[in-house]
Amino acid sequence: MNTLPLNNYTLIIMTDDKQVVLERILQVTRYRGFLIDGITASVNNANNIATIELLVSSDRPITLLIDQINKLVDIKSVKVDNNASQHSTTKECSA
Amino acid sequence: MTDSKPLTGGGLLFNVLEQHGVHHVFGYPGGAIMPIYDALYDSNVKHFLCRHEQGAAFAAVGYARASGKIGVCMATSGPGATNLITGLADALADSIPLVAITGQVPTASMGSDAFQETDIFGLSLACTKHSFQVHHVDELEEVLHQAFKIALEGRQGPVLVDIPKDVQMAKVEQNYKSAAPLKNKVKLPLADISKALALLTHAKQPVLYVGGGVGMANAIEEVRTFARTAGIPSVSTLKGLGALDTTDKNYLGMLGMHGTKAANLAVHDCDLLIAVGARFDDRVTGKLDQFAPDAKVIHFDIDIAEINKRRKADAPILGDLKGNLPLLTMPLNIENWQAKVQKMKNNFKWRYDHPGEQIFAPAVLKEVSDLMPPNTCVTTDVGQHQMWAAQHMSFEDPCDFLTSGSMGTMGFGLPAAIGAQISRPHDTVIAVSGDGSIMMNVQELATIKRYQIPVKIVLIDNEKLGMVRQWQDLFFDGRLSETDLADNPDFCMLATAFDIKAKLITKKSEVTAAINEMLDHNGPYFLQVKIDAKENVWPLVPPNSANNEMMESA
Repeated sequence: MNTLPLNNYTLIIMTDDKQVVLERILQVTRYRGFLIDGITASVNNANNIATIELLVSSDRPITLLIDQINKLVDIKSVKVDNNASQHSTTKECSA
Repeated sequence: MTDSKPLTGGGLLFNVLEQHGVHHVFGYPGGAIMPIYDALYDSNVKHFLCRHEQGAAFAAVGYARASGKIGVCMATSGPGATNLITGLADALADSIPLVAITGQVPTASMGSDAFQETDIFGLSLACTKHSFQVHHVDELEEVLHQAFKIALEGRQGPVLVDIPKDVQMAKVEQNYKSAAPLKNKVKLPLADISKALALLTHAKQPVLYVGGGVGMANAIEEVRTFARTAGIPSVSTLKGLGALDTTDKNYLGMLGMHGTKAANLAVHDCDLLIAVGARFDDRVTGKLDQFAPDAKVIHFDIDIAEINKRRKADAPILGDLKGNLPLLTMPLNIENWQAKVQKMKNNFKWRYDHPGEQIFAPAVLKEVSDLMPPNTCVTTDVGQHQMWAAQHMSFEDPCDFLTSGSMGTMGFGLPAAIGAQISRPHDTVIAVSGDGSIMMNVQELATIKRYQIPVKIVLIDNEKLGMVRQWQDLFFDGRLSETDLADNPDFCMLATAFDIKAKLITKKSEVTAAINEMLDHNGPYFLQVKIDAKENVWPLVPPNSANNEMMESA
């Protein structure tokens, strides 16, 4: 399948590499009604910024989740990766 | 700290609290927080020992809500920490600034299932705005400063700081720099004012819908000026009560499930809804797709996540209400709508002419409201008495009406009143409770006794879990499952056991004198009011119904 259904999204989250930030993101994602289909994460040790790629699916608008993740204190940015969403099967390391 | 002792993590905590202007904290000691309580012994911060950590959390919430300051509570690890959780969840749901300090087992024991160890840091994720666990005393000062900043900035909320025992005991050796500034993610303003202006000037039937955000933004004057200048019909949420001028002829009262008929009908018929610091809560909207079905929406909020969450905003205005609302303040030509709304208002008046000798709860609460001195702060628990208080009492400021709005936490009222009274020692504080709710934190009568806190308690007693009973009668075929409380203790005897003056009234003829006696009494007072137990809260929007489908009787 070259394209994901409309209710599948790939989020690119930039965050300070702080305590339990991944756990916070996962908790918010679950609570707000999104299923987690895959996750990759890495930390740039030079600036302590982590990049998290999160594949989620839901019948709810993705903006609801973006706004809630963005409220977490350590988050720097949250974006939907439209390219990745269209070619998700080619991505590496997705669970 | 005394000069003879080196500064420890525990001592540093109180130094930072004082830097942030904290004079009062609420808590309960235990093993893993003993070094902090040892430091308290030398501190200028006054600690109030509550009799359950949940009581301490709600006292801190009441303190914060009544005063506009931050509330601070503390507890030990394990059960002490888990007992705070309901208070934290309540504070998160109602956006109350709180800093909760928990003791934790020593870092070397963490993760070993040590005595009184629980992962409160993990548990806090779903019930705080943010949380920290401090792993070294060198981090402590900065973390505490950040905790205060996060609790207060943007949409306010609770922050938990978990401090292991060895960090509390560790000697503070560093010279500290000031806390790293946190980026405020709220971008001010999100200039969509022009669209809002166009909507407002073209509206024929606008309504102002005011929520708890108004008081928290300190924008009461701005909202009242807007309402007065525009002559716009206005309604309030439960948490917004007090923000609007109740004597404004265009003010229609509370909307939603137990709102006034005029408020709900006006919102249903409006063509423009101006939501100000409100979030389209399900108890407000009823059936969401039939809420203000023909209205465009202007939505003022500080939290971008509330914009379009439950109702699409045609003109969202994100940011500081105090700055943004005056930009829309102008006179409107809506005389026909005002007249129509006045007719709705006149067609619906509260009635207090209840037959028989038994006491009618709405009339008692109306009379308490009429007789209480200016600046009285009222807290409630949750249930029928809460809705009757919201309907029949009047408040000048949201700081004067403290109720667990979003979480609906029974057990809130008594400890919240204790906190409110400590923050406002010169004002009268009245806890309106029910015979179900009071038992949820009844141990706090001991806190009232210990500090001689002159809280007045009005117990609306129907020997029932009244609201659940009402719903069982209306929507569950009268199958009264587990809602009878006829075996409650003798409440006056109970209050007396805590040296609190108490009185029981059962007849209408006793009401006025009893209220006056309570208000005139210098110390704490417990007024048990046996009411007509058959009474329901009316009107009522039934579940999954539109707000214009209100029931006014069974």
